[in-house]
Amino acid sequence: MTREPFEQELVSIPMVVDVPYRFAAGKYMSRFLIELRDNGRFLGIRCPSCNRVQMPPRIVCAACHVKNTEWVELGQEGTLAGFTIMYLPLTDPTTGKPHKPPFTYGSVRLDGCDSVFDHFVNIEPDINKIWVGMRMKAVLRSKKQRTGDLSDIIYFEPIEGQDKVT
Amino acid sequence: MPEEKDYGPFEVDQHITAHSRYYAGKIGSLFYTTLRDHKKFLGIKCETCDKIFWPPRGTCGRCFSQLSEADMVEIGPNGILETFTLVTYHEPVHPRKAPFIYGIIKLDGADTGMAHFIDEVAFEQLETGMRVRPVFEEERKANILDIKHFKPV
Repeated sequence: MTREPFEQELVSIPMVVDVPYRFAAGKYMSRFLIELRDNGRFLGIRCPSCNRVQMPPRIVCAACHVKNTEWVELGQEGTLAGFTIMYLPLTDPTTGKPHKPPFTYGSVRLDGCDSVFDHFVNIEPDINKIWVGMRMKAVLRSKKQRTGDLSDIIYFEPIEGQDKVT
Repeated sequence: MPEEKDYGPFEVDQHITAHSRYYAGKIGSLFYTTLRDHKKFLGIKCETCDKIFWPPRGTCGRCFSQLSEADMVEIGPNGILETFTLVTYHEPVHPRKAPFIYGIIKLDGADTGMAHFIDEVAFEQLETGMRVRPVFEEERKANILDIKHFKPV
């Protein structure tokens, strides 16, 4: 089957639909975000039944569905639990602007925490230079610039002087 | 942690943002390029229903007949103001800053109306059914804002 060449000029218009919104963070996330903003520290929460530590904190333990009550302070360092190299732009919900690809996005398990936390990873998007198990540390904005959302964490970056164990 | 600080309610501002592209299609493209190149309006006629739609569309809104470029007919450029409203607040979706007037304009020959700006007139002087004419942009880019606005004849 052959098609006739299409000679008509076709019109298309780039469109951006931006919906700004505000949400109430709730009791536990409020405490987490305020501590992150004011003191630059990560708070997790421990389940009284299974001792699992979750970060960001949730009222209910995701594993055994009981109410979490014990707050724990976590450090700035952790281990890379998984990663992906993004070749499509990802819209940053804190700004509504696309994050220019390629870049690395990863799940970090902070020391003493059982859940993982997803954020940007400041490393060249090269599959040979990043591996699961890499030691990472959080890089925060300066206290003056922190606003109390997850963009207060600029990214996680690898602690220097590591080699891939093969 | 021993100290029990009162953290209070906390709100976070975020965005849901969709980056997309609107494709006008064959009939829509012809409508916009004719508007840009000749400052003329095209409607589309359904022979079955004897109705002319503005803006033109690929199927009849009444009997769902497939319509084509051959069914496009010139309408306007003047028309009547079917209804209007004064917008007094600004939302990001509006292409203009408030206050401004939106009107539904039914062009001569068309059986449907379309929304556009009404300008160069005080809101108090507007009446439904009044005759309006289009004001075109000098530099037209094949989109609906090639019409600046409509104003009373």
